[in-house]
Amino acid sequence: MGYAAARGGLQAIEAAEKLVARERILGQSSWLDTDQIIEKLRLAVDRVMSEGGLWDEQLAASALRQAEGDPIEAAHLLRSYRSTLPRIAYSTPIDADDMVVLRRIVPAFRNPPGPQLLGRTTDYTGRLLHTEDDDTQRTNAEKMAAYIQENVTNFPDNDDDKNHDRSSRSPRRLLELLRDLDSVVDRRRSDDPEPFDITRHPARPPASRSARLATMARAETGALVNVWYRNILGPDGYLHEITLGEVRHGRLPVRMLHPLTGDEITVSFVRVTEVEAIEDLNGIDEDRGRFDVGYGLCFGHNEKKAIAMANLDIACERDQGRSFLEQSILLTTDGLDASGFLEHLKLPHYVTFRSMMERKVAIRQHQEASKNLESK
Amino acid sequence: MDRNRRTELLAASQSQEVRQLAETFLSERAIAEELHVICPPEIGMIMMQVREPVCRERFHLGEVVVTRAEVAIAGFRGWAVRAGSDRETALAAALLDACAEYDSKMANQVTELCDLTAQRIAADERSEWQELLATAVAFEELD
Repeated sequence: MGYAAARGGLQAIEAAEKLVARERILGQSSWLDTDQIIEKLRLAVDRVMSEGGLWDEQLAASALRQAEGDPIEAAHLLRSYRSTLPRIAYSTPIDADDMVVLRRIVPAFRNPPGPQLLGRTTDYTGRLLHTEDDDTQRTNAEKMAAYIQENVTNFPDNDDDKNHDRSSRSPRRLLELLRDLDSVVDRRRSDDPEPFDITRHPARPPASRSARLATMARAETGALVNVWYRNILGPDGYLHEITLGEVRHGRLPVRMLHPLTGDEITVSFVRVTEVEAIEDLNGIDEDRGRFDVGYGLCFGHNEKKAIAMANLDIACERDQGRSFLEQSILLTTDGLDASGFLEHLKLPHYVTFRSMMERKVAIRQHQEASKNLESK
Repeated sequence: MDRNRRTELLAASQSQEVRQLAETFLSERAIAEELHVICPPEIGMIMMQVREPVCRERFHLGEVVVTRAEVAIAGFRGWAVRAGSDRETALAAALLDACAEYDSKMANQVTELCDLTAQRIAADERSEWQELLATAVAFEELD
């Protein structure tokens, strides 16, 4: 048997790459525009931006197309590209209260301050696959477009009533109401520590809360949901009495200082999902007369991720490093880290395996020699 | 129009409109001759810091791709930043900003473009709100 280190294979690698590109670029169907991906596959694009840690819908759509729809691979492409860009500024601190909501529900409270807006959701709709042919679906879409044109967008320009005001678009939080009722532990800090930058240094336990939040904001959705699920129902054995306070999807401004005036300006907006998870404190060393709140916020519309994040934020706070929870979050939820390690297993490991094989052969020879000695 | 507001609205204006007005200005010889590019359009990122409501702590949400540019016309500086990777439009927006500082007539034209953008944003928000209002819900508690 000959085991050896590998080199070469360049022609085969290029041919394999061409096979992927040929089907993706020259396939029989029409060219897939990034605008189409952004519009029709919004949640996939949002997920790629969130897990890539980079907001740019065009780039994310392009990455998704290049990755043949694999969101982790697309996030990988986005992060690779990100590493070529300079960081030209830090935003001024954006207050999460400045979010303009596109959807806002408060599962914990029927009459919260401000409206409950279902927004764009299929949460309350049966999961039935549309099996009609494309022509029928197109006809239905055209009917819907006509209905919306007639019934929703046909209104006078000056119609700014119907609660189109600041308090409706940026409603007061349930958390503030709970504070008014003195029903929540007050963890507001008087200092203002610099946030941990996970793009410059790996976050390792014990980590600051800003490191945990940044890690979860960039985590792979499935990994984060899995850590949460394991923590709530799995072998880790915690059973949290969690109720969601706020679930919001909306726009947050991106602000920076104008270099010529020195004033704060709004450069753009990003869509984010925000969740507050209310925890029922019941520990012996906890304030059992009050609740505590966990927080989740990530790029795009991704409620699963933000809910898991908010729950894990408060779980970490309560855990105080007693279990492996923080370590699991910091070290195992990054999609690029995990899939990178997994994917590398496919690369040639000839030398590693040859070494292992030689050890096996040596052990067997030693075992046989020992047997021969015993039999004599 | 306040310079800060102008920068915000040029960042939100449609790229075609920004480029078109910049080309109109550039066709004037004085502008073309006096134009000096201080910072060529550069694609980069802004790290987004968010202050969360529970502990009022800052954390990094992620980065946002932007393109910035800076020019001067006869010593009047113009600066622009726009979301995304469109170098040409960022440069055009910086040019409009400088022109608005350099010449009052041009400033009026830039203001017109900005006003149009502001009106468009307001109309989009009204339209968006109308659609959202239809989804406002009042759940009933069961006895």
